[in-house]
Amino acid sequence: MITKEKLKNYAEKLMFNMNESEYETLMNEFDVIMEQMDLIGKIKDIEKVEPMTFPYNIYVNQLREDIAKDPLTTDEALQNAKEVKYNQVKVPKVVG
Amino acid sequence: MKQLDLTIEEIRKLLDSGQITSEDLIKDSLDKAHQYQEEYNSFVTILDDAKHEVKGNSVLNGIPYTLKDNISTKGILTTGSSNILSDYVPVYDATIVKKLKDSGAVLVGKTVLDELAMGGSGTTGHTGIVRNPWDKNRLIGGSSAGSAASVALGITPFSIGSDTGDSIRKPAAYGGVVGFKPTYGRISRYGVFAFASSLDNVGCITRSVKDAAYVTDILKGKDERDMTSLPNTDEVYADCLENDIKGKKLFYIKEACNLDNYKDVNDEELTATLNNFYEVIEKCREIGFIVEEVSIDRDLLNALYPAYMCISCAEATSNNANLTGILFGKRGVGNNVDDIIFDARTKGFSEFIKRRFVMGSFVLQKENQERLFLNAGRVRRMIVDKINELFKDYDGLIMPSSDSIAPIIGNKTEQLSDRYLILGNHLVIGNFGGFPSISIPSGFVNGLPVSVNITGRQFEDGLTLNMAYKIESVLGYKGQVAKGDK
Repeated sequence: MITKEKLKNYAEKLMFNMNESEYETLMNEFDVIMEQMDLIGKIKDIEKVEPMTFPYNIYVNQLREDIAKDPLTTDEALQNAKEVKYNQVKVPKVVG
Repeated sequence: MKQLDLTIEEIRKLLDSGQITSEDLIKDSLDKAHQYQEEYNSFVTILDDAKHEVKGNSVLNGIPYTLKDNISTKGILTTGSSNILSDYVPVYDATIVKKLKDSGAVLVGKTVLDELAMGGSGTTGHTGIVRNPWDKNRLIGGSSAGSAASVALGITPFSIGSDTGDSIRKPAAYGGVVGFKPTYGRISRYGVFAFASSLDNVGCITRSVKDAAYVTDILKGKDERDMTSLPNTDEVYADCLENDIKGKKLFYIKEACNLDNYKDVNDEELTATLNNFYEVIEKCREIGFIVEEVSIDRDLLNALYPAYMCISCAEATSNNANLTGILFGKRGVGNNVDDIIFDARTKGFSEFIKRRFVMGSFVLQKENQERLFLNAGRVRRMIVDKINELFKDYDGLIMPSSDSIAPIIGNKTEQLSDRYLILGNHLVIGNFGGFPSISIPSGFVNGLPVSVNITGRQFEDGLTLNMAYKIESVLGYKGQVAKGDK
């Protein structure tokens, strides 16, 4: 059973807020989604199948050689951060 | 300028014979991009300073192209069509951008997508709705919306997109152009914003199958920066196209295509779309294909779209966890790190995307994992096993690319019907199994383009393009543009 409280909890775990009208829309959407999801459960003997997580079987791991390379420069790595101090990204104090 | 309405192959000949210059093409492409921007909104960024600086020796040398705005370009704004990345400028090029640069192709614009590629309408990008060049009251579809529109408008002869469920092939179909996603892993995804990593593909939108082969030949190949990229192959796709297809076997899915399924729906456009499909089937038979109807369990087919939603939304919640606004993207305000991230994500994501993320979180909750997330993976294996089994007897799957013409913007769809769940969304099969899959225009219904899709065996991109090329040659819609000067 989907409740607004549950949806709020999921949104919180995802680290964003939604307003009341957005939850309203989401609740309505979930009515359809739950019916769609029920279609998955209708499939006979589905529990006997191994879930698929990749489009095809890979028999050989593709690992590259461990060769040192030049990474991004500090300037490049910090270029998109909005607050920078002492060549580091600045955020509010985490530890008191 | 009418040259921009031509295919890559035709433009190449004009460039090589000196009848046109790359500089002229680029200028005209930029002019056209601006001319249509207000009306159709294909672009997040138009690159007015685009120049033909790198002289390659490939078929793409000197030819302008557009790129979906979820693909990293060094020094050029790359937003994913999301507010949270509205000022993000990558410090490196995606591998495919580097390959295109080296080939001499010239990037003229970054195209609008559904926000973070999660959507199929072309309406959710942070810079507004992309409209269909054949009728601006209709969707172009998504998520590679601006890419399809830019090719259909005759701005460039090709565009690069990404495809997680049908995001290249569906907008290409609605735009009356060609959309190809090769086998999963054929093209490097390094530098492409991840949506659902087990389903994401890079591909192209063009005006002919041959052009799709040309572009894929440039883009394909092993990339040590993408662990999922496939080993290099000696096969040149553009050289496969003339191979004889007599006796090649195609199948289509009865539960999706049989007109009797939709007796109660009584929709003239649906009927016309399916009649167009059967006309294509007849033409395929005339040129030597064997085409047969195959039945697949309806319960399994009905579960494809819900399974896709479970898998893609779940993977997306994880892939987009890095969008915090701290290291890059729009920064939020707050007294501590959590508050800053909350603020950035609350303001940075649209309502639509938040709903998709919540759905992903829902299926990943401990109490739902077995029933939803793992069962979705089981559905995926069942359909992929079934298609692979059929591919022992058949060389390809041919289907209508969609259930109808491009929908009118704002129209609601009945999301629990067989029509929506199976005929409207079967292209996800191509992503579930990583199959090469191409949509080609097949005619018009009420003045709007319709299209057929050909999906081939994993790793057999050459044969898939070969079959599509032969079918295209008898349909007569190669090279069409919606707003051409021809």
